Amino acid sequence: MSYAYLFKYIIIGDTGVGKSCLLLQFTDKRFQPVHDLTIGVEFGARMITIDNKPIKLQIWDTAGQESFRSITRSYYRGAAGALLVYDITRRETFNHLASWLEDARQHANANMTIMLIGNKCDLAHRRAVSTEEGEQFAKEHGLIFMEASAKTAQNVEEAFIKTAATIYKKIQDGVFDVSNESYGIKVGYGGIPGPSGGRDGGSAQAGGCCS
Amino acid sequence: MDLVSGYKGMVGLVFGNDNSGSNEDSYVERLLDRISNGVLPDDRRNAMAELQSVVAESRGAQLAFGAMGFPVLMGVLKEERDDVEMIRGALETLVSALTPIDHAKGPQNEVQPALMNTDLLSREAENISLLLSLLSEEDFYVRYYTLQILTALLTNSQNRLQEAILTIPRGITRLMDMLMDREVIRNEALLLLTHLTREAEEIQKILVFEGAFEKIFSIIKEEGGSEGGVVVQDCLELLNNLLRNNASNQVLLRETLGFDAIISILKLRGSAYSFTQQKTINLLSALETINLLLMGGSESDPGKDMNKLTNRTVLVQNKVFDYLLLLGVESQWAPIPVRCAALRCIGDLIVGHPKNLDTLASKVLGEQPQVEPALNSILRIILRTSSVQEFIEADHVFKSFCERNSDGQTMLASTLIPQPYSMTHAPIEEDVRMSFGSMLLHGLTLGESDGDLEGCECAFSYTQGQYPVQGKERFDWIYWRLEVDVRSGNGVTRDGFKKCCWRRSSCKLRLVNELILKQIKGAVMARGDVFVLRIELESPTPSLGAPEPLMHRMVKYLALASNMKNKDGKTSTKENSYVQPIILKLLVTWLADCPNAIQCFLASRPHLTYLLELVSNPSATMCIRGLGAVLLGECVIYNKSGESGKDAFTVVDAISQKIGLTSYFLKFDEMMKSFLFSSVKPTKLHKPLTRSAAASMAEIDDVDEQDSSDHKNEDHPILSSLFDSHFVNFVKSLEGNIRETIVDVYSRPKSEVAVVPAELELKRGESDKDYVERLKSFVQKQCSEIQNLLGRNATLAENLAKTGGSVSSQPEQRTSGGVDRVQAETLRRDLQEASQRIEMLKAEKAKIESEASMYQNLAGKMESDLKSLSDAYNSLEQANFHLEKEVKALKSGGASTPSDVEAIRAEAREEAQKESEAELNDLLVCLGQEQSRVEKLSARLTELGEDVDKLLEGVGDDMGLLPEDSEKEEE
Repeated sequence: MSYAYLFKYIIIGDTGVGKSCLLLQFTDKRFQPVHDLTIGVEFGARMITIDNKPIKLQIWDTAGQESFRSITRSYYRGAAGALLVYDITRRETFNHLASWLEDARQHANANMTIMLIGNKCDLAHRRAVSTEEGEQFAKEHGLIFMEASAKTAQNVEEAFIKTAATIYKKIQDGVFDVSNESYGIKVGYGGIPGPSGGRDGGSAQAGGCCS
Repeated sequence: MDLVSGYKGMVGLVFGNDNSGSNEDSYVERLLDRISNGVLPDDRRNAMAELQSVVAESRGAQLAFGAMGFPVLMGVLKEERDDVEMIRGALETLVSALTPIDHAKGPQNEVQPALMNTDLLSREAENISLLLSLLSEEDFYVRYYTLQILTALLTNSQNRLQEAILTIPRGITRLMDMLMDREVIRNEALLLLTHLTREAEEIQKILVFEGAFEKIFSIIKEEGGSEGGVVVQDCLELLNNLLRNNASNQVLLRETLGFDAIISILKLRGSAYSFTQQKTINLLSALETINLLLMGGSESDPGKDMNKLTNRTVLVQNKVFDYLLLLGVESQWAPIPVRCAALRCIGDLIVGHPKNLDTLASKVLGEQPQVEPALNSILRIILRTSSVQEFIEADHVFKSFCERNSDGQTMLASTLIPQPYSMTHAPIEEDVRMSFGSMLLHGLTLGESDGDLEGCECAFSYTQGQYPVQGKERFDWIYWRLEVDVRSGNGVTRDGFKKCCWRRSSCKLRLVNELILKQIKGAVMARGDVFVLRIELESPTPSLGAPEPLMHRMVKYLALASNMKNKDGKTSTKENSYVQPIILKLLVTWLADCPNAIQCFLASRPHLTYLLELVSNPSATMCIRGLGAVLLGECVIYNKSGESGKDAFTVVDAISQKIGLTSYFLKFDEMMKSFLFSSVKPTKLHKPLTRSAAASMAEIDDVDEQDSSDHKNEDHPILSSLFDSHFVNFVKSLEGNIRETIVDVYSRPKSEVAVVPAELELKRGESDKDYVERLKSFVQKQCSEIQNLLGRNATLAENLAKTGGSVSSQPEQRTSGGVDRVQAETLRRDLQEASQRIEMLKAEKAKIESEASMYQNLAGKMESDLKSLSDAYNSLEQANFHLEKEVKALKSGGASTPSDVEAIRAEAREEAQKESEAELNDLLVCLGQEQSRVEKLSARLTELGEDVDKLLEGVGDDMGLLPEDSEKEEE
C-alpha cells in the first residue's frame, strides 16, 4: 500500500468514446465490448512505477452524458491529471473537445495535466478524424496527445503512464505545492517528503489558517 | 397562535380574539421594514437582533417571518457581505426560524412553522448557493450559523438539498473543507455531511474523491479511536454512509488507504474491561463498517460478489479476526451487542471463503499453555450463553463454517470423541483441553441430565462446580438464583429453569444436527459417519451401565422427551414440543443415505417399535409423526442390510402391519400441510442493528429472549428456524423416494431362493438321497417364501379392502403391481375422472329432477285452481240460466207453482253452498250479485201476486241461510 505519490486522474469526453473501456483495460487488462453506460462516476486504481518510484493512480471515470455534467464537474478541481478522450470514428466527439476543454479550464486547477486521447484507433478503416488533426488540436491547447485502443490495449498503458510522468516532472520542477492535496497529488509513506515536511502537516496548517 | 391566526393578520385584529398572533405579525413586519428600509446602520442591527429574539421564541413570529422575511434576509446576505454583524444577525435569525420551538402549544396536527420555513428556504436553489458561498467567510460565526442552517435544511428536505448542492459547482468541496476547520465547525460539518451523504451515491463518491476517508480516519485517531467521544461516533456514521452499498468507495478505501485504519478502531486500548456506553456505540459502529464491507456494493452491481470476496480476503489479511475474536469471544467485559456483532462479522467473513475458513480454524485463543482453538471457544459460547441473540450469532458462525466446507466438517467431526468420565466433571481450568467434539457430546449428556426432572438437583450442583465466581457473572447468577429458588420449592422458577435447560440442550442438539447434516452433504460421508457411529458414550450415570452408541442415546433422549411431556403436562409441553422434532431431524439427517447408521439404529429392536408407536401416536404433533414416518422410510430406502429382522422388508412389513400403509403415507401429507412446512422461507434470524437508534442499541440486552419466550406460546420459533428450506426440500425429495421404494419392495419381492435351473439338475457325483435332500430344502425354502408372500399379500388385500371402498384423494400407488403400476395408475386416474364426472352428472340430474317436480307441483296447483274456478263459473252460469228460465216462466206464466219456487229455492241454496266451497273472494261478489238477484226476483214475485206469503216463507228461509254462509266464507 506504500507509494511515493498518489495522483488523482479523471477521464472525460463525450459519451461512448470508450472512457470506461480505457480504464478497464488499464486496471484489469481486459476489454469489454459491451459496456453499460456509466452512471455518475466510477472508480479504479492501479500502481505504476516512474523513476523507480511507486506511484498510485486513483482514476475517476466520469459519465459522458450531458445530464451528469454537474456531477462530474465536482471532480475537476481535485484532479492532477485528466484524460480527454474522443472517438476517431466519430467526428462530433472531436468537435466537442473545445467545450470539454473549456469546462476543464474553468473548473480544474490550472496545473492539471491533460492528455488528449483519440480512442478506437484499431478501427482505422472507419476513421473520421486524422491523426494530424488530433496532433494539431493538442498542440494548439498545450495537451499531450496519443492515439490509443482500449480494445487492443495499444498505447493505453503509455497514455496513463505518460500523464503520470508529466505530473511527476512538474512536481520535480516545483510547479506544485504537494502539501496541498487539492491539486490531486498526495505524498505517500515511502515517498520523498514534500516541501512542508509531512502529509498531515499540510492539512493541519490549512485548518489553522482558515479561522 | 396557530397558522390561521398567524396569517389572519388584520382580521384577527379586527375581531380582537387573538391579539398576540396579530401583534407578532405586525411586529415582525415592522422589524423587517426597519431592516430593509432603515437608514441608520445601528437601527437596522437592533432591528435584526430584535427579530432574531422574537423568532427564536414564538411560533407565531416564525410563521410571520416565513411569510415575509426570507427575501429581506437573503437580500442582506447577498448585498451586505461587508457588514459582518448584519450577516451574523441574519444568519442567526434564519437558524432561529428553522429551529422547532419545543414547548408546543395548541393541537398536534398544526403546521410546524420551522418545517414550513425550511421548505420555503430550500425551494430556491439560489439560496443554497448563497449559503454555500458564505462558508468561505472569515468570520467564525458566519460559517458556524451557515452550517447549522444547511444541516436544518438537510434534515427536513434532504433530497432537494442533495440535488441543489450537487448542481452547485464545488459545493461539496466547500463543505468538505469545513472538516479541516476548527473543532466546533468541524463537528458541525460532520453532522451536515452525514445528512448529505444519506442515500446519495454521487455525493458519497465526490466526498471520497475529496479525501473524506483520510479526513475521517485522522479525526478518529485524533479523538482517541473507540475510546473517543460522540465525534468518533459521528465520524463512523459518516464513514458508514460513504461505504453503504457503494462498491466504488469500498474499492477506493481498500486500494488506497487499506482496511487497516478501520480495523485498528476495533483494537481495545486502554482499559479493556471498561465499556462505557459511548465506547460500545463506537465499537458497534466500527463493526457495522466491517459488516458493510462484507456486504459489498448495491444489489444491482454486477461485480458485487468479486468485490465482496476481495473485501473479505483483505480484511482477514489485515488480521481482523484477532480483533473480532477478542471482542466477540475473549473479552469478558464486552457488552452483549458488541459480542454479537463481532460474532456475526466472523461468520460473514468465513462463509464460502476457503482461505478465511482455514484461517479461523487455525486460530487459537488464550496464552500458553492454556490455548484453545477459537472454534471451541465459540462453541462454549453456544453452550453457556444465556442470551438468545448471542446464541444465534455464535450458531451463525458454525453454520457459516460448515457451509461448503467438508474439510472443516471432517475436522470437527473427528474430534467427536467423548472425554473420560473424570474429565467431564473436571473444573473449568481443564476445560480448554477438551476437544470440540467432546465439548459437544458433553453438552449433550448435560442436556440429558438437565432434562431429567430427578436429575435436576444433581445438575445444579454440577453447574455450580462448573462455574465458579470468576466466570461469567450474569450466567452464573441466573443459575445460582434458580438453584436457590428450586431448593425453596418455588414451582414457577422450577419450570423456568427447566425451560432454560431445555433451550440449552436443544441448542446443542441443533448444533450436532447441523454438523452432521453438513457432513453428509459433504464428501466425508463414510468417514464422518463411521466416526460418529463408533462413538460410545461413557454413561454419566452409573445405573445406565454399559457404554452405548451415541445413536442409541439419541433415541433414548427422544423417548425421554416424549415422557417428559406426558408426565408433567401443561407448562413444559410447549417447551418440549420442539425437542423431539430436533432429535428427529438429527436422526433423519443422520440416517440419510447411510446404511451403517441404519444398521446401528435397527440393531436395537425396541427402536423400531418405539418409532412405530411414535408415528401412530395420536397425541404427538403432526410434525413429529411425519418426521417419524420419514425416519421409517429411510430405514427402507437406504437399508442395505441382508440380515433378517433388520432389512427393508421387515421394516415395510412392520409399517404395514402396525400402521397401515395408507395412514403411513397420510402422515407425510399431514406434515407437509402443517404450518412449518408450508410456510417455510429462507429466514434469517439476524436482525440488522439499526444505526438510527444508536443510544438504545447499546442497551440491547436480552430483550429478545423475553420476546421469543413469549412467542413460544403460540409457535415454536426455534422450530421454524430449524426447518429451513434446505431441510424441507430434503424431506420432500425423500418422501417421493420412500413411496417408490416401498412400492418397489412389494412389486419386486426378494427371492430368498435363487432359482438357478442348473442347480435343480442332479449334480454329478451326487447321490439320489443328497439330491432329494437338496431339493427338499429348496422346496422348503420356497414354501416359507410363499408363506411370507401370502402373508404380505393378505395385508395388502386388507389394506386394499380398507381403502377400496372410498375413493381417497390420496394417491394409492402401492396397490398396483410393479409392471402394471403405470397402467393401473392411468386407469385409476381415468376411473377417478369418470366417477367424478358421473358424480357431477348425477348431481346435475338430481337438481333438474327436483326442479321438474317443483314445476309439476306448481302446474298441478294452478290447474286445480283453474279447475275450481271454472267449475264455480259453470255452476254459476247454470244457476243463472235456471233462474232466468224461471223468471221467464214467471213472467210469461204470471203464476207459477209453489213447487217451482220451491225448486228454484233449493237450487239457489245448492248453488250458494257450492259457491261457499270454492273459497274464492270473487265468487263472493258473484254470490252477492246472485243474492241480490234472488232478492229482486222475490221482490218481483211479491209484487206479482198472490203467492207472496208462501214465497216470503221460502225467501225468509233463504235470507236466513245466505248471510250465514257468506259469513262463513269471510271467515
